[in-house]
Amino acid sequence: MTKAIRIILTALLAAAVLFPLLYTLSLSFFSPGDFTAETAKLLPSSFSLHNYALAAAHSRFPRYVLNSFITAAMASMLRLAVSTLTAFAITHIRFRGKRPIAIALASTLFIPSDAMLYENYVTTAHLGLLDSYLGIVLPSVFSASSAIILIGAYLSYDRDIYDAARIDGAGDLRYIASILTPLTAPAAATIAIQSFIASFNSYLWPLLVTTRPRMRTVQVGITMLGFAEHGETGAQFASIVLITLPFLILLLAGRKALMKALSGGIGS
Amino acid sequence: MKKNERKAFIYLAPALLLALLFSFLPLAKSLIGSFLTISQSGKVLGLAGLRNYASTLTDSAFLSSVGNTLRFIIIFLPLNTLLTLLAATLTRRKSRISSIGECIFISPLAFSLSALALVFKEMFRGRVSIANRILGTDLAWLDSPATAMIVLAILGVFLDFAIDYILLSSAYRSIDKSVIEAAMIDGASSMRILSSIELPLIRSMLAVTVFMAFKDALLISAPVMVLTEGGPFRSTETIMYYYYLEAFRSGNRAAENTIAVIMVAASAIIMALSARRRRFD
Repeated sequence: MTKAIRIILTALLAAAVLFPLLYTLSLSFFSPGDFTAETAKLLPSSFSLHNYALAAAHSRFPRYVLNSFITAAMASMLRLAVSTLTAFAITHIRFRGKRPIAIALASTLFIPSDAMLYENYVTTAHLGLLDSYLGIVLPSVFSASSAIILIGAYLSYDRDIYDAARIDGAGDLRYIASILTPLTAPAAATIAIQSFIASFNSYLWPLLVTTRPRMRTVQVGITMLGFAEHGETGAQFASIVLITLPFLILLLAGRKALMKALSGGIGS
Repeated sequence: MKKNERKAFIYLAPALLLALLFSFLPLAKSLIGSFLTISQSGKVLGLAGLRNYASTLTDSAFLSSVGNTLRFIIIFLPLNTLLTLLAATLTRRKSRISSIGECIFISPLAFSLSALALVFKEMFRGRVSIANRILGTDLAWLDSPATAMIVLAILGVFLDFAIDYILLSSAYRSIDKSVIEAAMIDGASSMRILSSIELPLIRSMLAVTVFMAFKDALLISAPVMVLTEGGPFRSTETIMYYYYLEAFRSGNRAAENTIAVIMVAASAIIMALSARRRRFD
């Protein structure tokens, strides 16, 4: 009895969650006429690949996707590097002023970047970074929560290893690269994945700092493809499928690792 | 010791520089600017005292954006909490149905914000929309103030669903199995185990997700921008969307600075409450 209820509830919820995804797939095959039908259609009148051909032939769409990958990879690597150096200094070096510095860095958690949007835009413009990859990436490179995740991971290792490595003549960077990071790989993966997803998905900031069409990321570009204005709304959804499907496959293939990575460091 | 200090500061320099550049300086500039009269081009014209706050707090457009944001939170937060908790609860034990459910419940993560907002725009496109056909309703959805906010809230739930589900699921799965097995041997029903063992044990993670969702909801702007642009009749114009319009479209520096300060204070309060709650657990 309770099992039946559980299955029914799961199925209902699953259907609701899946609907937008499946409907997008269906919309990607819609002909212009399907969109203006008297009653909304659930399925397209034919499964022609016309919309996909239009999306693939769009002059800027591939560039938008490339920009997104480049900026997300940059954000993720830079954040990992900055977090690693920060966490290393805090956990492995004894120095005066550590506590106030750690508190100051942690207190950035209380300053939401959304509320600093305009000031950060002005700063980025002053630095001459508008319409550049670095400009898209830079404000999100330092994240206190990422540094905190790494500090937690580093603290769980014995400092004796560091002392031994130093006696053997290994420099700090060498120790970080060949001992510390491999030992704490899950935490590093958590940070890299979280920041890749956050950066790939960000919309407002890339919209503000890019004006040249060739610098737009896919999140921004996909709302400006111009298909709908030319009566080819279906191609808009074909483009959405083209950027969503690869992620869906990746997501399902790496489900276990991803769930572990995304829940790492939160609430513990 | 001197050498240690120099080394530490070199390693900390990138983080300190970025925190200064993109957190502390902008906050300081907003805070100071909120007490000054500044022209559109950024020139300081004089001291404003509390006049900027007075004008923002009595501006009817700002007040209605506060009302809209609260309306959004009231619809979004309970719906999001209920649905993500339900999904995680249904799939908390390992089984074939659970793993299929898990695949489906994390799938919204593949969608990005703007793509999903565009899909929602089509799904809720007026009376001829697919939403009406499936639900058997005859609503104007995005064309009417009452329903547009509901669509925005549903979009919000889809955007937060996967990550909240993952957090709650992992909380359920980190519960010590032996406790549950012992309760089963003692003959406790599945419902009883859920309500007296499992739910209390995931409570702190639930609080984390609720506070996170609350903060996201308070700061919502990008989904508004793609889905409704604040319409119809400014009914979905949230605080941060209003901030964006004033800062970037109208060049209203008084509103930009005061809203920035107010929102930092508001989200800091939420975070402080969340941290305090965690300490008691």
